[in-house]
Amino acid sequence: MTTENNKVIGIVCERSVDFDGKLDDNGYLLDSPTVKIIKVPCSGQIQPIMLESALKNGASGTFAVGCRMGDCHYREGNKFCRERLIGKRMPKLKPSVDKRRVEAYWLSALEYDKLSVMVKDFVEQCKQLPAPAASKK
Amino acid sequence: MYTEPLQRATLWLEKGLNTVFSQKYNPFYYHGALPNFFIWALFLSGLLLFAYYQPTLANAYASVHYITYELPFGNLFRAIHRYASDGMMIFVILHMMRVWFTDRYREYRILPWITGVILLTITFIIGLSGYLMIWDQEAVTLANITFNLLKSFPVVGAPIAEAIMAGKVISDYTLTRFMFLHLGIPLLMMFMLWLHYLRITRPVSEPPLPLVVMMAGVLFIFSAVFPVGLGTLAHGAHDATAAPILTGPGSVATSIYFDLLYAWPQYLAAQGMAPVWVLLLVLAVPVVLLVLPYLQKKALRGQYAQVTRENCTGCSLCYQDCPYEAITMVDRGNDGTRFKRLAVVDAGRCANCGLCVGACAFKAIEIPRRETGSVLAEIEASLMTSTS
Repeated sequence: MTTENNKVIGIVCERSVDFDGKLDDNGYLLDSPTVKIIKVPCSGQIQPIMLESALKNGASGTFAVGCRMGDCHYREGNKFCRERLIGKRMPKLKPSVDKRRVEAYWLSALEYDKLSVMVKDFVEQCKQLPAPAASKK
Repeated sequence: MYTEPLQRATLWLEKGLNTVFSQKYNPFYYHGALPNFFIWALFLSGLLLFAYYQPTLANAYASVHYITYELPFGNLFRAIHRYASDGMMIFVILHMMRVWFTDRYREYRILPWITGVILLTITFIIGLSGYLMIWDQEAVTLANITFNLLKSFPVVGAPIAEAIMAGKVISDYTLTRFMFLHLGIPLLMMFMLWLHYLRITRPVSEPPLPLVVMMAGVLFIFSAVFPVGLGTLAHGAHDATAAPILTGPGSVATSIYFDLLYAWPQYLAAQGMAPVWVLLLVLAVPVVLLVLPYLQKKALRGQYAQVTRENCTGCSLCYQDCPYEAITMVDRGNDGTRFKRLAVVDAGRCANCGLCVGACAFKAIEIPRRETGSVLAEIEASLMTSTS
């Protein structure tokens, strides 16, 4: 417990789930205080390297949030992000990344409640995992 | 911003539709593709009607009568043609409202919006000419309303009306002109559709098969259960002159076209408004739609993706992923690198969305409003504080 970082980093599209009033001053979820939310204009901007960097720096998990599939404001951002994370589009998420620590959610601005429940599950799941190998740090 | 409540309403509606259709087949996610389904339905059903239709004063009504009551399945095809035109109109308007409400109609999307307004206008003209071709009492009334409205416009109104009428009075040639409009304007539509798609990479132009099957089923059953029938032969339809009637005799059939295009102008005319003002109000609709995108404050303020020349390897991943055809790969000349090509951003087309940033593995392209470095710094900073 002492050696492991319990933090989870979420990189989210600012047009998808609406975090107004759901974050504290430092950008952590009020519902799940270990979850840090980082906003980008579109989930299509999320590079796999961002998620890799979160894990490399000691996060216990990391996730991406984009709009509902079919409803990207910029047409294809969420689709491309998903394809990059599952290894179907360049640049891909490194195969060596622990997939149990990576998640993605595709929800609209109205669906914070749904996300909140799923993120709580994910945080729990990451806690159960054995500490990452020392080489990662 | 006035669009925000509208956007929320759209999302709320789509959330409901997602529970019915699932995210994969939500018709709202194919709002632009569904009118294409109706174009196909209209083209195929129209082919059969075209084979039997005769565009003359004496035979127009008779040939439609033959199609409706004697030709096997003729009435079914007419019903499909009629209801597909209504479906087309419904989905085109839904498409327009959705891109408007979700703020996807201006700046880098201005070309699809302008061509879209033109497409909407010509869709109305195609529909109107289709109704006129039937040449029953309602069509004659409609022709009189249309020509009188047109003629009320000073200077250019009368010549345009005469050009469509092919002379000063309605004659055999008038019906040929109606048919020309009904078959010729769809060709213009194809050209406008090309422009409509021009700046969109990988346009979603076809709805998924299950949705097509469902739409075709609904259209077919609806057409079989509610045949369209045929109005009475117009009194004096064989030698109809454009009598000065605005709110003509007989009721005009209720349908999407009439309700949108004729119900409210007719009401205004009945209230005593001068025809020229009624016409100007009708023409103001597309003009207002064209002006709409310029009424909002610009969101991008001239920002666009920036390429770092030294980092660009010319791999073309950003060029492939850009959803607005804003990136081109150019010959970079002899600049001391071993790479041949360079990504160049067209500022006018760039949406500043960052999809190219997600596609770049070499830190060679950035959007000014959110640089990759700032995201990575935020990740590292939040993890540093907890370990210390």
